[in-house]
Amino acid sequence: MPPLLKLDDVYAQYITRYGTVYAVNGVSLEIGEGEILGIVGESGCGKSTLARVMMMNVKPPLHLVRGRVLLQGVELNRLPRDRLKREVWGKQVSLVPQSVMNALNPTMRVRDIIRDFVKVHNPELDDDEVYSMARDRFEELGLDIRALDLYPFELSGGMRQRVAIAIATLLNPKLLIADEPTSALDVSTQKVVLKLLKRLWNEGIVKSIVFITHDIAVVRQIATRIAVMYAGKIVEVGPLEEVIFKPLHPYTELLISSILTPEPEVKKRGLVEIRGAPPDLRTPPRGCPFAERCPYATDRCRREEPRPVVIGSRLIYCHLRGGGAA
Amino acid sequence: MRFPRIVSELLANKKFVTGISVFLAVLIIGAVGPLLYPVDPEDMSFPSSMPPCPEHPLGTDYVGRDVLAQLLRGILSSLYVGFLAGVVALAIGVLVGAVAAMRGGVVDEGLMAFTNAVLLMPTTLVLILIAALFKTRSIELVALLIGITSWPWLARVVRGEFLSLKERDFVYMSLLAGDRWLSISLFDLLPNMATYIAMSFAELVAGAILQEAGISFIGLGPTEGVTLGRIFFWIQTNNAVIRGLWWWWLPTTVVIVAIAASLVLVSISLDEVFNPRLRGG
Amino acid sequence: MVELPEPLLRVENLSKVFVVGLFTRRRIDAVKGVSFTIGRREIVSLVGESGSGKTTTAKIILRLEKPTSGRVLFEGRDVWRDLRSREDILWYRRSVQGVMQDPYGAFNPFYRVDRVFKQMFKLLPKDMDDEERWGLVEKALIEVGLNPRYVLGKYPHELSGGERQRVMIARALLVEPKLLIADEPVSMLDATLRSGILKLLMKLRDERGLSILFITHDMGLAYYVSDRILVMYRGELVEEGHPDELIESPRHPYTKRLISDIPLLYRKWSDI
Repeated sequence: MPPLLKLDDVYAQYITRYGTVYAVNGVSLEIGEGEILGIVGESGCGKSTLARVMMMNVKPPLHLVRGRVLLQGVELNRLPRDRLKREVWGKQVSLVPQSVMNALNPTMRVRDIIRDFVKVHNPELDDDEVYSMARDRFEELGLDIRALDLYPFELSGGMRQRVAIAIATLLNPKLLIADEPTSALDVSTQKVVLKLLKRLWNEGIVKSIVFITHDIAVVRQIATRIAVMYAGKIVEVGPLEEVIFKPLHPYTELLISSILTPEPEVKKRGLVEIRGAPPDLRTPPRGCPFAERCPYATDRCRREEPRPVVIGSRLIYCHLRGGGAA
Repeated sequence: MRFPRIVSELLANKKFVTGISVFLAVLIIGAVGPLLYPVDPEDMSFPSSMPPCPEHPLGTDYVGRDVLAQLLRGILSSLYVGFLAGVVALAIGVLVGAVAAMRGGVVDEGLMAFTNAVLLMPTTLVLILIAALFKTRSIELVALLIGITSWPWLARVVRGEFLSLKERDFVYMSLLAGDRWLSISLFDLLPNMATYIAMSFAELVAGAILQEAGISFIGLGPTEGVTLGRIFFWIQTNNAVIRGLWWWWLPTTVVIVAIAASLVLVSISLDEVFNPRLRGG
Repeated sequence: MVELPEPLLRVENLSKVFVVGLFTRRRIDAVKGVSFTIGRREIVSLVGESGSGKTTTAKIILRLEKPTSGRVLFEGRDVWRDLRSREDILWYRRSVQGVMQDPYGAFNPFYRVDRVFKQMFKLLPKDMDDEERWGLVEKALIEVGLNPRYVLGKYPHELSGGERQRVMIARALLVEPKLLIADEPVSMLDATLRSGILKLLMKLRDERGLSILFITHDMGLAYYVSDRILVMYRGELVEEGHPDELIESPRHPYTKRLISDIPLLYRKWSDI
C-alpha cells in the first residue's frame, strides 16, 4: 500500500531581507496508514516548519525550495493555496497547533467557529446539520457539549485544546498533525489530551497522526514510530521501542540519555551532558549536522554529509553506521 | 537590536527616510537661511505687497516686510517653541508617570487624579485664558505654557509601561543585586522605553508647533519675535488670502505642514520599526 | 527533648493574598499557610504546577514580594521585619541569591553581559579593588563552565539559553551566597542543555556546601537532583518526603495523580 503522506527530499527555507534560515534540509519521510509517528527534536530543529510543509501551509517568508509533498500520490506542492484550503486542509490533513488560543477566534462561540470551519468545505450543509454533527462528535469523544455554547476564553487550557482537536478532526481527515499540542499544559491535563488523540486513532476517525514534540516520554506513550530531527534533518527513524531502547545514531543516544523522568532506571543511569549547542540554521554546517557535538565524530563526519542506511526496519543517517558519501 | 541594525532598519523604512529628510531640510533652511539671506525680517521699509522679484524672492507683505526673511526666522523660532515645549512636556510626563508607577498607593492615585484632571481640561481654552493674563508674552513663555498643558497622555502611558516593565525578570535581578528603585528606573526601565520616548517627543514637538500657530492665529501667541504662528496672525489680520497675496500665505502654510507632517511620519516609522507587530506581511 | 540546630531557612505559616479587580475585588490565595525548612548543604525541591504558588513563595523568600502573613527566618532573622538598614538588606542579598526561569528575560537587552556582574560589586567587600573583583568574576564563570574571555563583552542575545543561564548562576555565586533560590532554572532549556545545569547545581552543593531551593513543575528533575521534595498544590504544601519514597509511595491524592500522569520512558500507560 502506498504511504498516506510522503515527503521526498524536501528543503524549506525562510528567506528574508536579513538572510536565509535553512529550516528543513533534505527530509524524506513516509507516513503510513494506521501509524502514529512521533517527530522529536529540540527547539529550533525545524520540526514545526516540517509540520507546515507536511500540509503545504507554506507562504512567504517560508518557501519550499526543493522536493515534493505527496498525499496519497497527489503532489500537494503543485496545488494552489485556495484549492488546498477548500479540498485538503481540514478534510484530508488537519493541524492542531501548540497555542490554540491564537487559532480560535476569541469573539465567536465554539459552535460558530465550527459552523464557519465546516462551511468552507461543505457549503451545502445548513447550520442545524453542522451543529448536530458537532454535538454527535463531542458526545462520541466524551466532551461536554455545553462547551459548544461558550467562547474560547471561557474554556480551561486543556478543554480548549481538546475542543480544537475535535474541530480539526470533525470532517474525519485521514492525517492529523499535532504540533506540540500539550507543551503548554500541566501533566494531568496533558494526559487527558493524549488520551483524546489516541481515541480518535483507535476509533478510526483519523487514520494516522504525526505528533511533534520535544518530549520523548510523551512520544513513548502514544507513538508507534519515531523520527528524530536535528538541525533541519532527520537523523534516525524507526519503530518506537527499538529507537528508544537501542538508539543507533549518536544524537538519538545522547538525547534519550538526557531525559529525566522520575524512574529508578533513569536515576541510576546518571546525567549525560552534551557539550555545545545546536548549529545556527542561518549558517548550517557542512557534513553531518551533529559532528560538532558528537563524541565519535571523525574528519569524514565534518566533511561529508551522511547518506541514509537501512538497518532492519530503521533508517539512520550516520557515517559510523556505514552511511557513505554521495 | 544593536545600533548598526537599528540604523539599517530605519533607513530601509520609506516613511522614516521621507520624514527625517523633510524635517532635516526644513531645519537646515531655518538654521543656515538667515546667514545666507541676511535681511531683517522686521524691517518695514520695503514697498508693500510686492510679488516675488529678484530683490525679494518671496515678495513683501502688506506692511512692507520681506516674506522670505520672515519665513526663515519663523521656521527657527517655531522649531525652538516646539523643542522647548516638547522638552518641558516630556520631563513632566516621564517624571509623573514614573513616580506614580514606582511609588504606587496613595502617591499613584493622587498623581493620576491630577493627570486626569489636566487631561480633561480643554487645553486650548486654558491656554487662551493664561495667555490673556500676560500683556507681553515671550516665545519662551508661550512654549512653557504649551509644555505644561500637553504632558498628561504621556504620563499615563509612561506609568503603564513602567508598571509592566517593573515585573520583568531583569528588574528582579537588579533588585537582587541590591539596586534601588531610582537606579532601576533610570538604567533598567527608561532605556527600554527609549523608542517610545523618541516617538512621543516627535509628536509633542509637532503638536506644540501647531498649537503655537493656533493660539497666535487668534492673537494670543508671543508678542515679540517672528514665529510661523505670528506670520499666520498677520496673514489673517491683513486678509492676505482675499487680497491674493499668495506668496505670503502659501509658502508659510507649506512649511508648517511640512514640519508637522514630517515629525508625525518619523514617529509612525519609529513605531513600525520597533514594534514589529505593526509590520505588514 | 533534644535541641535541634536552627536550619538555614525556616518558612513559617507563610500566606500571600492578592486582591485583584477594580470594582469587584476578588481575593486570590496564592500561598496558604506554607511552612518548611531548608538545611545547610541541602537541595530541596518545591514541585507544583503553574499557579500552585511556588513562584510567589520564591519571591517572598527573595524579598521581592511581601507576605500577607507568616514569617521567613534566615539564620534566625525575620527577613521581612528584622532587616531595617541598607546594610541589613545588602547582607541578605549577599547571603541569599536567585536564578530566574527565563534566561532571556533575566538580562536587560540594552547592556553587555558584564553589567550583571558589575551590579553585584556593591555586595563585595569594600576594600576590594576592581581588578580583584573581575578576578572573582572570571573564577565564577570558570566554575560554571564558561570561558570568561568568550562571555565578557558580549550582549545577551549573542549567547545561547544554556550559556545565559550559566551566567546567571555565576552572577549569583560571585557573592558566595549560602542559599540559592533557583526558580525553574532549566524549564526553558532543551533536554541536552539541562543536564549540565543540574550537574552544576549538585556540584555546588557538594563542593561549596551551598543550599538550594529548586523550584520546578517537573517531578523528574526534582526526583533527580533533590535531597528532599515538597509538593505544592493550590497554594498549600500537600506532601513532603525523600525523592525515592515520594515517587514510590505518594500519600496525598494530588501527588498520587500527579505521579501517575507523568509520562515515563520505561513504563507505558495502561489506560490509554
